[in-house]
Amino acid sequence: MKEKIIPIGIVGYFLLMVALIGVLGWYWQNFQKTPVQPIEFPHNVHVGKLKLDCQFCHKFPSKSKFATVPSVKLCVDCHKTAATDRPEVKKLLKYWEDQVPIEWLKVYSFRKNANVNFSHKPHIRAGVDCSTCHGRVDQMITARKTRNINMGFCVSCHRQERAPTDCWTCHK
Amino acid sequence: MKRRDFLKIVGIASSATLLSSCGVEKGTEKLIPFLVPPDEDYIPGVAQYYSSTCTECPANCGVSVKVVDFNPIKLEGLEANPINRGALCLRGQSSIVRLYHPDRIKQPLKRGANGQFQPIGWDEAIQQVVQALKSARGQGKANVYLSGRTTGSLSRLLDNFAKDAEVERVPEYEPFAHANLREAYRLVFGRKEIPFYRIEDADFLLTVGVDLVETFVSPVSYAKQLSRAKDRENFRWLHFEPHASLTGFQADKRFIVKPGSEAYLVGFFLNYILTNGLNKKRIPPEITNALPKIDAGQAAEKTGLDADTLNKLAAQLAEARAPMVISGGVSTHQKNGLETAVLTALLQWALGLTDRLVDFARAENYDHVGSVADVQQLVKRLNADEIGVLFLARTNPVATLPAAIPFAQAMARASFKVALTDFLDETAEQCDLILPLSHSLESWGDAEPRKGLLNLIQPTVEPIFNTLSEGDILLAIADGYQGRPNVFSYQQWLLREWNRTYGEAFVDEFLKKGFYEAPAKAVRLSLNTRALTRFLKDAKLDVRPQGHILYAIPSLRMFDGRSKVLKLTSEIPDPLTTISYGEWITVSDETAERLKLKDKDEVAFQVNGNQLALPVKVQPGLNGDVSTIHWDQLERAFLDVDQRSGEILAVVSGGQMQKTGKKIAIPILSGSMEEAYERGIFPDHNGHGMKHHADVRETLYPPHEHPEYRWAMTIDLEKCIGCSACVAACYVENNVAIVGKEEHLIGREMSWIRIEPFYGKDRDREMNFMVMLCQQCCNAPCETVCPVYATMHNPEGLNAMVYNRCVGTRYCHNNCPYKVRRFNWFDHEWETPLDRMLNPDVFVRHKGIMEKCTFCVQRIRTARDVAKDEKRKIRDGEVIPACSQTCPTDAIVFGNLLDEQARVTKLAHSDRSYRVFEEIGTEPAVYYLRKKEIKDEA
Repeated sequence: MKEKIIPIGIVGYFLLMVALIGVLGWYWQNFQKTPVQPIEFPHNVHVGKLKLDCQFCHKFPSKSKFATVPSVKLCVDCHKTAATDRPEVKKLLKYWEDQVPIEWLKVYSFRKNANVNFSHKPHIRAGVDCSTCHGRVDQMITARKTRNINMGFCVSCHRQERAPTDCWTCHK
Repeated sequence: MKRRDFLKIVGIASSATLLSSCGVEKGTEKLIPFLVPPDEDYIPGVAQYYSSTCTECPANCGVSVKVVDFNPIKLEGLEANPINRGALCLRGQSSIVRLYHPDRIKQPLKRGANGQFQPIGWDEAIQQVVQALKSARGQGKANVYLSGRTTGSLSRLLDNFAKDAEVERVPEYEPFAHANLREAYRLVFGRKEIPFYRIEDADFLLTVGVDLVETFVSPVSYAKQLSRAKDRENFRWLHFEPHASLTGFQADKRFIVKPGSEAYLVGFFLNYILTNGLNKKRIPPEITNALPKIDAGQAAEKTGLDADTLNKLAAQLAEARAPMVISGGVSTHQKNGLETAVLTALLQWALGLTDRLVDFARAENYDHVGSVADVQQLVKRLNADEIGVLFLARTNPVATLPAAIPFAQAMARASFKVALTDFLDETAEQCDLILPLSHSLESWGDAEPRKGLLNLIQPTVEPIFNTLSEGDILLAIADGYQGRPNVFSYQQWLLREWNRTYGEAFVDEFLKKGFYEAPAKAVRLSLNTRALTRFLKDAKLDVRPQGHILYAIPSLRMFDGRSKVLKLTSEIPDPLTTISYGEWITVSDETAERLKLKDKDEVAFQVNGNQLALPVKVQPGLNGDVSTIHWDQLERAFLDVDQRSGEILAVVSGGQMQKTGKKIAIPILSGSMEEAYERGIFPDHNGHGMKHHADVRETLYPPHEHPEYRWAMTIDLEKCIGCSACVAACYVENNVAIVGKEEHLIGREMSWIRIEPFYGKDRDREMNFMVMLCQQCCNAPCETVCPVYATMHNPEGLNAMVYNRCVGTRYCHNNCPYKVRRFNWFDHEWETPLDRMLNPDVFVRHKGIMEKCTFCVQRIRTARDVAKDEKRKIRDGEVIPACSQTCPTDAIVFGNLLDEQARVTKLAHSDRSYRVFEEIGTEPAVYYLRKKEIKDEA
């Protein structure tokens, strides 16, 4: 019997490992995609209901590489008076009162070593709709990744639209 | 251990590793918004440019500071500035490192009871200074302010400060004060100034020892002028020097004279002009009589040139429509330097140059700069215990003064020593209190490098450390001393001052333009006959240096040593020797043969009990018994002072040189400086190696198509002076790593562009610089050997390096005939806050990948973006790579070869154009314009 304990232990250990890795993988796939933001900002209300233009808050995609998140002041400009009774808006006003910036979590990013020199500007100039990459934000509460932005995705679109596919177009 | 046990252990260990690494990848980045958005014109990630001034050396060139997301990341010459006209030198390009240098002093420091420096607050520091000032006055001692060269409003503030805080402002100390030149102009014209030499308008330039394009007063300005002058067919430039300098090799003809004989040379020209009645301006008989009489025979004997040549040159000088004579540098840093300078000034007068080309209306502003004699005076007072508080601002006399002046001991006698500096240098280390200065990129100010030219200094970044500008410190101390509240910041003071002096309309324009040029006031010159006659009677021309002679020459890279802290200046090799790190002494071919010396052999050099032991570099074109050493590498014990003018004498004579038998490892980056000719690097005089002569090897690959653009570059070797500004610009622009001496010793430098000197058959006179960078070949040998397509030809003719694909086989490096690819053997660190100067548009390469010049593809990208916004193609001149942008001689031109009207196309198709190794058929996109034929013998 004693001789069997060791092999069973080893097999058990490996099974446990496989299970753990599987569970963790599933967990990241499904939960980490929607980051828990410091304020639960409802995109569906602002974009879907109020029909605000994306660039009303994300000011720079047509001018710069970065779309940028809005300054706290921009939020407060409206929310000084609008919907001040909501708990999430109260959170926002507290940030403003304390003059502390909100630490949003990034939803889309490239790996550092992917060496991607992505710029929003040429895409907006070419008339690419924001939802092409960012999905139907008007139907989301907190923005989450709806597709993996990898090289395959970029290149297939670039080919389709006859945009340049030279390496140095996207890689710096 | 059994095999099975081994496998089990490995299995367990690896699974545990796998599990523990899960989740590491997802370090979610944060997006932190502004509370309140910054001003309207700020766009994240887009560069903004601010006009300011480079303060790395006294030339004070105008710069345009590139700021991305509130970090200044690059300096470029300000296009409109009349001094540098868009260019910047090696030191100017490197000076951004100073801003972010981790070794900067980060807060005020006070020497504690244990002798160590302790950080203190600003209020306390100012308080201490005020108290020390008061107690010194109480004891009847004088408080003294010694600084480096100060101009513009800061100088005026200093005057106010001196009044308010009862501090005496003593003449400023600069190691390169050009004291002999200024003293000479005082003797001749009664003006203790350095005029602005308008060499651009000259057609016959004669320079004596002066290092015009290296460190002399305003080197970028002079390099730019020389380049413009060379555009004219009739321009000729002759250079006379006893040693071998970068400037000398650039002249149309370089004459090697015997050490110490420059005064005879100039004296002869002057005599020739006067005796033959060719002088355009009268010189009174008293002076003519006092002048030493030198005929061609005597001059020939002294200088070692032949009499016929001298006569011919003198005749040419007299006949030239716009002649120009300048002496300076080593010729005025020797015992008869003052005589040389005086005779030159007289010659300038006699030739009528002082009406136009030798411009005193725009004289270089050295108004408050004294000389070593003034420092000696101060030392005397210090030794007599007359000095209470001693301020030392932006100056390092302890390290730079000749050892004969014991400044360190003397300054210890001051009751309280305050250093205003950015680094803990030798002088600051001796002080009681250190007040760290903000960099000029962090502060407000102005500079007046030339009379009537005001350059703006404006902040481009919040102070990185707890530092203040000198103006703010002075205001605070003065207010503290007077017992007033400190309400004015230096910025407010400046604005008030500008408004008051120039009016309000001026300020707006000044801030926009970055400089202001006041109309020049005409200067009437007249000869200072009495002083001059007296001087000429006592003049001693004959100094006859003996034995082995050592010239301490100012370094293109380090200036007087102040730029040594920048690190980048050490990483970039000295252009004449290609030595990067370490110290060395050059010897002539003759000496090398006599002492059986090879490069890196150590020699001992002795003079009057002083000795140095350094490795040698054999320097072609040197006089037999002459050696050179860079100023910052020579011990101060070797230097002496001319008591008449207070000039530091940089010529050490009477030495002895011996071989020690040791070999010292110094990184000499060039493999060979000779085998360039007949190998296709330079075409020979018969045109062999030129495009139409080359027997080009065919390629087996299909040709590349370039539908819209074919980027190309031309480099004019006639204009290139080897100043290495392009190299520095490239380092900063492209985040090229600084790897250090050890890596250089094994040939692993990372520079994307390099300057290679090649000495021709006539080793004394013929030398060419080859500017080598990636040639962006059409049939690139690197591309075909890459197993992973990490480097490939793009549709615009660029040889694109794709870092993600690179696996580091280094086959490409091996197959590159130009040896321009660099491999990252390590990850390179940019110590905080140096990482803030990284260009965000350029990838920071990590360990294991190749890198090389990209033709600044990020700049092409930016230009394309602008062009696409305006729905047009990129215009000629819109893309300027960093190397081309900073080039002081406009030698590098970049553009689209498919555009027939582009400058680059015209140059690439000119008669002088050729490509390196044309015959191997790589079809490079870099075209070189070979040197013009050497003009007729003098």
